[in-house]
Amino acid sequence: MTFHLFRLECVRMLRDPRYLALGVVTPIGFYLLFATIFGGDPTRPGELKGTVEIMVAMAAYGAIWGALSATGPRLAHERSSGWLEQLRSMPVTVRQLLVAKLAAGLAVALPALVLVCVTAAAAKDVRLEAWQWAALVPAMWLGTLPFALLGVVVGLLVGPEAAFPLSYGLYMAASALGGLWVPPARLSAPLQDVAHALPTYRLADLGWRIAAGHAPTWADVAVLAAWSAGFVALAVLAQGRGPRRARTGAASAATAG
Amino acid sequence: METAIALDGATKRFGELTAVDGLSLTIGRGATVALLGANGAGKSTTVAMLMGLLPPDEGEVTVAGRAPRQAVVEGTIAAMLQDSGLMPGVTAAELVRLARRMYPAPLRVEEALELAGLRDQARRRVDRMSGGQVQRLKFALVAVAGADTMLLDEPTRALDVQGRREFWSAMRNCAAAGRTIVFATHYLDEVEENAERVVVMARGRVVADGTPARIREAGGRAVVRFRVPAGETLPTLPGEVVREHGWATVRSATPDEVVRRLAASDADWCDLRVSPPSLDDSFLALTGAGPAAQDGSAPHGTPPAQGTPADRRIAAASSAPQADSIARTESAQTQAAKTQAARAESARTAPEEARVR
Repeated sequence: MTFHLFRLECVRMLRDPRYLALGVVTPIGFYLLFATIFGGDPTRPGELKGTVEIMVAMAAYGAIWGALSATGPRLAHERSSGWLEQLRSMPVTVRQLLVAKLAAGLAVALPALVLVCVTAAAAKDVRLEAWQWAALVPAMWLGTLPFALLGVVVGLLVGPEAAFPLSYGLYMAASALGGLWVPPARLSAPLQDVAHALPTYRLADLGWRIAAGHAPTWADVAVLAAWSAGFVALAVLAQGRGPRRARTGAASAATAG
Repeated sequence: METAIALDGATKRFGELTAVDGLSLTIGRGATVALLGANGAGKSTTVAMLMGLLPPDEGEVTVAGRAPRQAVVEGTIAAMLQDSGLMPGVTAAELVRLARRMYPAPLRVEEALELAGLRDQARRRVDRMSGGQVQRLKFALVAVAGADTMLLDEPTRALDVQGRREFWSAMRNCAAAGRTIVFATHYLDEVEENAERVVVMARGRVVADGTPARIREAGGRAVVRFRVPAGETLPTLPGEVVREHGWATVRSATPDEVVRRLAASDADWCDLRVSPPSLDDSFLALTGAGPAAQDGSAPHGTPPAQGTPADRRIAAASSAPQADSIARTESAQTQAAKTQAARAESARTAPEEARVR
């Protein structure tokens, strides 16, 4: 059942022009733009080439929006539109539903990740070893999990009007502070400390390390895992009080008689 | 008769408001039952309890002898809820296919879409459907389940006349297949044609329970109309007489007696017609929504009920504790209502009576 829900969730994302614009086309477009402007900057020894660094940053940037937009705004909308109510009257558990949503969030994060890398290789002549590609894409893909979880939290806590701007605002802020727009090395020291605590920076750092020929650090994995655990906890709390707050239960039944 | 649905003293409160108040009701397998009541009568709350969406504060609710949620998970019961919505961005067929996979003994997707009258819209996106089509799709999601019991909360809302006709025809197919069907509505005409049993609810309680014919007799008065020249003297008739535009309209609990007296008199009357009590009148009388009769929805071209003794009956009905059958309700009613109920038991309605459980 979870699989069929998951499949439909993906189908509707791929038919959604807003997702295609923000979650696929935008990161590719930004990559081409930034790689053209800054890609040729001279690099110091040990630093990644601009075209590679920006590839990883934009791949993360696109993947994050895929994961976040498939969960947050959609879940909030479904809570108020009555689709969750409809599912609650069918043989589906809330858990199956949320697992399907999370899986769909991860699934629709993948196109941006892969396509930005393909664009980099094709248009900007980025060359990595085969093992680097094979490690970079799956590692960054798994690294989007905390963002899919954040979406679930947003979707469970916020109404349909607020969910999109809130998701987008968090996304932009975390991307900027996490060094996806400006190389983190160019941020001031206090801002670097902030960046190092953010999952956006850590997601990109997975890719930067692999692209530089190293293994990701334990700090990357630990920070991403910590955010994930925090969001799971929040989601469980929100779910506990969710049904009664949404118009699914008491309120609608009382007014509709 | 196996029991499909049982509520035993079920009570649900929302703060100050008691939405369902000690509701006891048993519905046998294969029955087609209407839950009739005004907005706020407790119909949707009852449906929500039967689907396990709301736990009762008191009392017990079972579906096919199980806890409601278990019956839902096993696919024994499926519901068309009033406030539910659908997943946007997918087609009707995709959504029905999803629902189909959740149930152990489903119908085919094409079959469900056909039943719901959506065969030609199978590939249409949910978010591009009209209100009526969405309503049909919600029915298709229930139909495809192939569940023993179908709960339909105001199923024909947003449907036009043609849509309603098709809907009820589909419903009768489901009923003929042996499914238990319980639908909540406030459309009286739908009740009469599509239910074999009517449970009238008001303020979270059952105020009447019987065949549509019997409900009709329980509260309303028959209407006798005939043409009579202005100024012509009429004999004393049992009932309320209104004369205008050369017509006399008599609203009476004893139409036979009206006709007998007319026939025995010398009055110059013609074009006599007798209409049975309107279901609207009985419904309003039973649920105590007297003033609403002024909205002019009375069938048979009769004038809206005015100054009926409804108020008295309402008071009586609402004070009757646990009034879960006509028999019990009427014991607290006025003599006039008793007379009508007695008439209802006469040969005219006997065949339908036999089906009351």
